[in-house]
Amino acid sequence: MLEGAELYFNVDHGYLEGLVRGCKASLLTQQDYINLVQCETLEDLKIHLQTTDYGNFLANQTNPLTVSKIDTEMRKRLCGEFEYFRNHSLEPLSTFLTYMTCSYMIDNVILLMNGALQKKSVKEILGKCHPLGRFTEMEAVNIAETPSDLFNAILIETPLAPFFQDCMSENALDELNIELLRNKLYKSYLEAFYKFCKNHGDVTADVMCPILEFEADRRAFIITLNSFGTELSKEDRETLYPTFGKLYPEGLRLLAQAEDFDQMKNVADHYGVYKPLFEAVGGSGGKTLEDVFYEREVQMNVLAFNRQFHYGVFYAYVKLKEQEMRNIVWIAECISQRHRTKINSYIPIL
Amino acid sequence: MGSMFRSEEVALVQLFLPTAAAYTCVSRLGELGLVEFRDLNASVSAFQRRFVVDVRRCEELEKTFTFLQEEVRRAGLVLLPPEGRLPAPPPRDLLRIQEETERLAQELRDVRGNQQALRAQLHQLQLHAAVLGQGHGPQLAAAHTDATSERMPLLQAPGGPHQDLRVNFVAGAVEPHKAPALERLLWRACRGFLIASFRELEQPLEHPVTGEPATWMTFLISYWGEQIGQKIRKITDCFHCHVFPFLEQEEARRGALRQLQQQSQELHPTCPPKRFLSQVLGRVLQLLPPGQVQVHKMKAVYLALNQCSVSTTHKCLIAEAWCSVRDLPALQEALRDSSTEEGVSAVAHRIPCRDMPPTLIRTNRFTASFQGIVDAYGVGRYQEVNPAPYTIITFPFLFAVMFGDVGHGLLMFLFALAMVLAENRPAVKAAQNEIWQTFFRGRYLLLLMGLFSIYTGFIYNECFSRATSIFPSGWSVAAMANQSGWSDAFLAQHATLTLDPNVTGVFLGPYPFGIDPVWSLAANHLSFLNSFKMKMSVILGVVHMAFGVVLGVFNHVHFGQKHRLLLETLPELTFLLGLFGYLVFLVIYKWLCVSAASAASAPSILIHFINMFLFSHSPTNRPLYPRQEVVQATLVVLALAMVPVLLLGTPLHLLRRHRPHLRRRPAGRQEEDKAGLLDLPDASVNGWSSDEEKAGGLDDEEEAELVPSEVLMHQAIHTIEFCLGCVSNTASYLRLWALSLAHAQLSEVLWAMVMSIGLGLSREVGVAAVVLVPIFAAFAVMTVVILLVMEGLSAFLHALRLHWVEFQNKFYSGTGYRLSPFTFAATDD
Repeated sequence: MLEGAELYFNVDHGYLEGLVRGCKASLLTQQDYINLVQCETLEDLKIHLQTTDYGNFLANQTNPLTVSKIDTEMRKRLCGEFEYFRNHSLEPLSTFLTYMTCSYMIDNVILLMNGALQKKSVKEILGKCHPLGRFTEMEAVNIAETPSDLFNAILIETPLAPFFQDCMSENALDELNIELLRNKLYKSYLEAFYKFCKNHGDVTADVMCPILEFEADRRAFIITLNSFGTELSKEDRETLYPTFGKLYPEGLRLLAQAEDFDQMKNVADHYGVYKPLFEAVGGSGGKTLEDVFYEREVQMNVLAFNRQFHYGVFYAYVKLKEQEMRNIVWIAECISQRHRTKINSYIPIL
Repeated sequence: MGSMFRSEEVALVQLFLPTAAAYTCVSRLGELGLVEFRDLNASVSAFQRRFVVDVRRCEELEKTFTFLQEEVRRAGLVLLPPEGRLPAPPPRDLLRIQEETERLAQELRDVRGNQQALRAQLHQLQLHAAVLGQGHGPQLAAAHTDATSERMPLLQAPGGPHQDLRVNFVAGAVEPHKAPALERLLWRACRGFLIASFRELEQPLEHPVTGEPATWMTFLISYWGEQIGQKIRKITDCFHCHVFPFLEQEEARRGALRQLQQQSQELHPTCPPKRFLSQVLGRVLQLLPPGQVQVHKMKAVYLALNQCSVSTTHKCLIAEAWCSVRDLPALQEALRDSSTEEGVSAVAHRIPCRDMPPTLIRTNRFTASFQGIVDAYGVGRYQEVNPAPYTIITFPFLFAVMFGDVGHGLLMFLFALAMVLAENRPAVKAAQNEIWQTFFRGRYLLLLMGLFSIYTGFIYNECFSRATSIFPSGWSVAAMANQSGWSDAFLAQHATLTLDPNVTGVFLGPYPFGIDPVWSLAANHLSFLNSFKMKMSVILGVVHMAFGVVLGVFNHVHFGQKHRLLLETLPELTFLLGLFGYLVFLVIYKWLCVSAASAASAPSILIHFINMFLFSHSPTNRPLYPRQEVVQATLVVLALAMVPVLLLGTPLHLLRRHRPHLRRRPAGRQEEDKAGLLDLPDASVNGWSSDEEKAGGLDDEEEAELVPSEVLMHQAIHTIEFCLGCVSNTASYLRLWALSLAHAQLSEVLWAMVMSIGLGLSREVGVAAVVLVPIFAAFAVMTVVILLVMEGLSAFLHALRLHWVEFQNKFYSGTGYRLSPFTFAATDD
């Protein structure tokens, strides 16, 4: 692809970029959060949200208001915006947007399979599925008994199909295997997405590659952390790491050998980017590793808006909006459970 | 009219509203629309205010109203606006309204729910019937027999456990867009142990919820084996298909079909319980419009009350509001009236205020459009000179200078007159078209513009580009012909002839009004008009701008800034009049004193004016009057000397006044504050800056915050803008000439290219009359579209610019904000 996105970018994607930047301006500010935190009840929260760009999105909800209703409505709104972007997008932006939905689709598939394993009703689980990752064949996931079944019958027509090549096996789908399946899918998804951005070149690559590298490294850390004390062997663990990112390849090899949090931290100390993150864990306010990673992610996504003519803004916007939704849900939970001591541990965006 | 010159005196009023009577008081104020409430709780977020619960209840009610409205709309009924003025209901009525609407909404929901259930049932039956009657039968039956005939021997050969293998069916309907995916998934998941047939329904069925027609795909799947069957059921479930029992025997199917049709026919007549629904809707129609208005008002009242603060004793609410001094008695009375019931009277009294009050200029339907022109540039500062009253005359006049044509002016005038005469008709008022509304709001403006265009049209002597000779022309061709003895041969040779005004009897004197019609025949018509219009534009421009500078005097006097009279207005006037006023003088002097007799040696004003700045003289150019050069040199030196005065005068004056103030500040400040406190009642009577002393005090306050460099910078910008502006603005007024030239030429072209060709087409009366019909139609349409609408818009735009930029920047700052009183007027309409 030619260099110099300035010349032709706006022809195809200018409108959507403008739109997404406008949407970004509607993210809640620090002042909004300060006001939200003061709310006494969910009704107050609703009234305050009405003064923001959310408008009266809760107007049609019957009383009493619950956190899950707020969450669903917010997701619906985001989904509506995303659908609009997607319906108005041209190639290669539409492929990019499809890649973005893949992660939600993976989550949904895994969620449904777990549900089927525990004999829960499909309806109940469907409610929990992320609307961005919806696809028609989704509900049929529970008829599959092995990964290859799943692939051949159901997922072959979805965008997830290419990611399945690494995880075809005839193992029965028990809990561990599903978890492995998820991680393998995620791994090949991230690698494919990374490759796509890299091949696209231009500003998109400049912006998206660091974000995806961070995502890959985060997954590696989280996988390592979650595998402590499980029956997962070190070799297996290594096969789950996405094969790119700042940690690849030496860091990943070291991570594969790590046996507890301190060893993991030692690995991170080799990397200037991750050292401060691990140092912040457990410090003031008792932050978890997850929180620290979220903060870093928000930072990177906000920075993505500093450059123009690239697709990263769409990714960044959706991720920021997700973070905002997590914040609001957190605050709403704290309010409804009358558990105000930790209400301030949301992650402000702007 | 008197109130148009500057905005009315507005005072900050503190209202003490007894808690019991606060609601009635505010609702009464909303009906009157006298005051603008200030938010005293700006730091309190929306949900922590006092009346948030009531606001929320109103919102709940509005939500129900929206539901009812939607139902009414779906039933195809129209809501009529309520009759008469409805006051905001007392708070206790809210419960009654709420109960009633809730009950209605509940009933409506029930009726709808029943209807929906019935429709869903009907839909289901129809689908089932469609699936059965879709004619999968023969094909499938064929497949069935084929399968058996082919497979039987094969299967029977081993004689194994498959002997009881038989074909089962799943039949149902699915939305068309899902059908291909379903088919593929079935194929993949079941590995060909099935035969599926998909067909589209011929007639669309009504969707049970939306009522829109939707097509369906019906399908019939035949399969072998129980496990496959379970899989198929799961798959059809997840695609949200409607699955129906499918009997194997043809007769049984037909029987079922008949039964279904019978059932659906039974359902059909009972389907809409119409009468009850229309009863409920009738009640909704009665209740909804007044309810909506009342609740809307109620919500507005609570929102206003939310802006009040609570007194320490909790006995009353304290509101602060801007109110015109003229309306204070009305305000007092309104408060007294609405709080007498409660025994405690609400009070309003003026309090002093440092903030700039809002601008209030009352308009009527005539002045509103002119005030609108001014406000579109910027709402005036409090008590600043308002350009609107002058705009009433200058705007239509400057427009007419560019639009001058009797015929076009008359058309515009008649159009505006029709609107003015019809303004009270409800149909005209209710028209929703935005373009029409724009014209309608400016009808008085259009009226004056048309009138002035007729006037300037007479001066230009143009009516649809033709000259009219109301009076006998001042020029005599006969005299010229007699005097110079033109022979027939001479006339035949010369296409154009010159009329010489120096020959006696040829030029009898100026035409009584406007341009002599004889000019329309002349070859040098255009150059004559150009010279006239150009000079006229400059004269109008300089007069207009000088008037603007003079208006600044009233601002300075009113705000007690007398120093600016001497240090700003005087230098500005000297500069403007010394240079460009002198140019105007030259033009008029030459008109009056140089006659046709001395035309050959007439001096050129342009050369004189250039020489004036170069301090030189050209020997070929005769002076206009004796000692001209001395006068000119004096004027230039005087004008240039004014520039430093303008540049440094005000800053130096301010700094000089500022310095002693600085020195005595620590002690003086406290005294002042004390004095301010003691003076409170006095100040509240005097109001804001209405007397000079107070304004001076405010000035001191401002200066204390000002930095010398900032003052200097500001004044430097102002000076440069004014001096350069004098040149460029004068040149800018030449647009009057350009636009009027363009208008005249366009109408001339239209006449020559369309109408006069049409008139010259045929000599026979009958033919000419027939030909003229389409030609006149074209002429009329083009006159209206191009000359009236297009040219009119462009002339309007330029007149607007001349007022906003050239005129108003001489004195008008337009940095105020409008008084927007708390009123229910919008709700009542």
